[in-house]
Amino acid sequence: MTIFWTEDATLLAAILATLLPFVSFVLIMVLTRARPRLSAGLSIVAVTVSLGCALFLLVRHWNLQRPIQYTGRWLASTSVEIPFGFLLDPVSLLMLVVVAGICFLVQVYSLGYMAGDYGFSRYYAFMSLFAWAMLNLTLSPTILQLYIFWELVGLSSYLLIGFWYEKFSATQAGKKAFVMTRAGDVAFFLGLLTVLVHLGNFNILEMNGPQAVAHMSPAILTLSALLVFGGIVGKSAQFPLMTWLPDAMEGPTPVSALLHSATMVAAGVYLFARLFPFFSLSPTAMTVFLAIGTISMLLASTMAMVDRDIKKVWAYSTISQLGFMIMALAAGGYFAGAFHLTTHAGFKALLFLCSGLFIHCHGTNDIYELANHQCRRQRIPTICLLIAAAALSGLPPLSGFFSKEAIMAALAGLSNPVWLAAGLLGVFMTAYYAFRVIFVISFPKPPAKGSESRPDSSASGHDGSHLPPEYCVMAWPLIILALITVLLGFFESPLKHFLVGRLIAGEAHESGALALVPYLALALSVAGVGLAWIEFGRRGAARVGFVERIPPLHKLFAERWYIDDFYRLFVDRVIDRGISTLFYENDNKVIDGGIDGMCKGTVEGGRIVALLNSGMIQYRLLVTFAVMVLLSLYFFF
Amino acid sequence: MIVPFSHVLMLAGILFLLGMFCAVARRNLIMIVLGVEIMLNAASIAFVGASVRWQSLEGQSFVLFILAVAATEVSVGLAIIVYAFRRTGSFDPGAYNILR
Amino acid sequence: MTLYSFIFYVVAAVIVASTAVAITRRNLVHAVIYLIFSFFGTAMLFYLLGAPLLAVLEVIIYAGAIMVLFLFILMMIRTESHQELMFPLSQWLPAALFGLIYVGVGFLTVATTPGTEITLKMVLATPREFALYVFQRQWFSVEIVSLLLLVALMGALHLGKGEKKNNGEDEV
Repeated sequence: MTIFWTEDATLLAAILATLLPFVSFVLIMVLTRARPRLSAGLSIVAVTVSLGCALFLLVRHWNLQRPIQYTGRWLASTSVEIPFGFLLDPVSLLMLVVVAGICFLVQVYSLGYMAGDYGFSRYYAFMSLFAWAMLNLTLSPTILQLYIFWELVGLSSYLLIGFWYEKFSATQAGKKAFVMTRAGDVAFFLGLLTVLVHLGNFNILEMNGPQAVAHMSPAILTLSALLVFGGIVGKSAQFPLMTWLPDAMEGPTPVSALLHSATMVAAGVYLFARLFPFFSLSPTAMTVFLAIGTISMLLASTMAMVDRDIKKVWAYSTISQLGFMIMALAAGGYFAGAFHLTTHAGFKALLFLCSGLFIHCHGTNDIYELANHQCRRQRIPTICLLIAAAALSGLPPLSGFFSKEAIMAALAGLSNPVWLAAGLLGVFMTAYYAFRVIFVISFPKPPAKGSESRPDSSASGHDGSHLPPEYCVMAWPLIILALITVLLGFFESPLKHFLVGRLIAGEAHESGALALVPYLALALSVAGVGLAWIEFGRRGAARVGFVERIPPLHKLFAERWYIDDFYRLFVDRVIDRGISTLFYENDNKVIDGGIDGMCKGTVEGGRIVALLNSGMIQYRLLVTFAVMVLLSLYFFF
Repeated sequence: MIVPFSHVLMLAGILFLLGMFCAVARRNLIMIVLGVEIMLNAASIAFVGASVRWQSLEGQSFVLFILAVAATEVSVGLAIIVYAFRRTGSFDPGAYNILR
Repeated sequence: MTLYSFIFYVVAAVIVASTAVAITRRNLVHAVIYLIFSFFGTAMLFYLLGAPLLAVLEVIIYAGAIMVLFLFILMMIRTESHQELMFPLSQWLPAALFGLIYVGVGFLTVATTPGTEITLKMVLATPREFALYVFQRQWFSVEIVSLLLLVALMGALHLGKGEKKNNGEDEV
């Protein structure tokens, strides 16, 4: 660091924000495993300081003109130099605040949710590890440093998904998540290497600047963009690597809220926004990204329409919303994608935390059973859930409405109308599945003939009036997030100016049909809500979705479009029986066989030479003759 | 004019090969010594041819010495063979592997 | 093709043929006799190449003394020659292989060495000139060879002395 770090408040804030969670991780793992309250305290203090520094940085550099970069020498060779450090520019500062804020709120919430769990200290240690990795990922100046922290984030996700490791399904889910994201990361690393070979270094500013075009041909640009996007497909659970995210709901709900909705899976979209100028250099790649985002968005929405597990519905919703963000970014809407990232972090975390409160109080994940437990008696979570679902569907005046409109405007700017049509269909399906959950939970089935009655469910012990003692500490983060969801939409203009103020001049009003797009999207959202009301919310409704009336379609959606089955088949046939067997046989027959053959050959050769020395004089004469012949050969040539 | 010098050398080479073959491929001690004799004879032919080629008498004088050495070596060799035959009762070199 | 070259090729063919036959005879006496033919051919070759003394010496010493010595030994030690294992594979196959390589390389060497295509001219070294040359120029070698012959004589006598007297008196 050329500048002495305590004198520069920005650098100090950046170091504190990123390093303190790591310190807390080490302290918890080494020293305070036996004292859960101290561990939680350490972790929350660290995250609070990080949040404070992040807010300080955001406010201080609100009018940032050029990115600030702090780097120190790390790896240096004659032709390549890779530094480490921090890069502060608008999108990274915004993401820093989002990550730190959600981490803080989720850790406070976990005080209540994970209370009494025997792995409490370990949980907070892994939470700190994740916070450290994610914060550093946000501020990385080189794509290699970003990749390192990308992998660390994947590691902490694995540790947290399999947190309750005695449950076999949890460990399987952790393994599946890690392996699938790893598959994407292989492509990411190949893309990194392509960039290194052609550009000469890993700096993000250089990749976004004119040097990229100068050093890399269009074909190489497309290739590296596609490869790096492979990592995004893995991390952000897009098609085809999308099935790990629903299984990742085996982890505790705060983990799902933090990692698998707001921050970790958003790291992929963040990378896209980071390298947005680099990716925009290759229109072919952008079209591919658009297609992948659209497919993921539509597939995940269909899967969400039929699931009964509340966490899995929100998981599919996450995949779908990430698809939306990628569509927006791939269509050229930099601000739309980044803004939706921010608002989505807010309302998706809120959705998960509210669901977590219900799950904690009533002990079941199924929406029909939750309804039977009269969970709508608990006012605060129900209202917050309603606000969050409305934001997800894009209803005004919540933040989701503003960000969805921005995305639709970006999609409308494309020449091919099929993307806009897909986006509108997605809006409709999003509203439908979100409010399906709301109505099913809020309006329990009227009691059937004597099988269940009100006194029965109220005597189950999990009534609304018997609140568990940790209810307060779990409710405060919900209220804060709900407030943010409501208010964030009105900050759209200042944020737009902050992120892209210098770049984009005032946009001309779209003419003709394109001006109708916002109203069309709003109409579709309301139509989705209406359809859900008709099917689930009305008194005396059948409570069966229109998809469930078509059994083949229902089966297709419920089986996740058979993607998992395809993977199982692929792993079994191609990898296990094909490639693994091939390499196993190669190891046994070729490599071991070769070495054994060499040994045997040596022994046999020794035997033959021993035979020559067995005292038979004619063999010795023969050897003499042979040597003479070979010498003559040598002298001839 | 007789023949090119190379033909004489080739003849000597073929004879040498035949002598080497006899020494190595027959399982009889006496044939080994016979093979050595053939090889020496081949060398003599080469020397005489060389002496004609270079018009010098050195080659022929060396053949004289080869003759003497051949006689020496045959007598001593056959004496050894007779002695060995008395000891082991066989002419087969495969029987003489006590020193293996 | 002059007369002399014709004679050379015929004599060469005789030598090679009789040697080849000699080395494949199971009966050792037959082999020795064929070899005597070969040596006679060599003697004629020497005479053709201008060394009459050597030709005669070849007949007397080589064919006359050495081969007869072989015959004496064969007759003295009556061995059943059909006991011999003729040309075992492990011996003749490597020998043939290396032999062919040797012949090939030898021929190539001879063909590519620059001085070998010169045709030999007829010369004659009379015994008088030859003897003068040997005893004037190579007298030291003559002395050494005579020493060698003495050593061989002593060796043969010692080896041929046999064991204790109770063995009988049928040694050479």
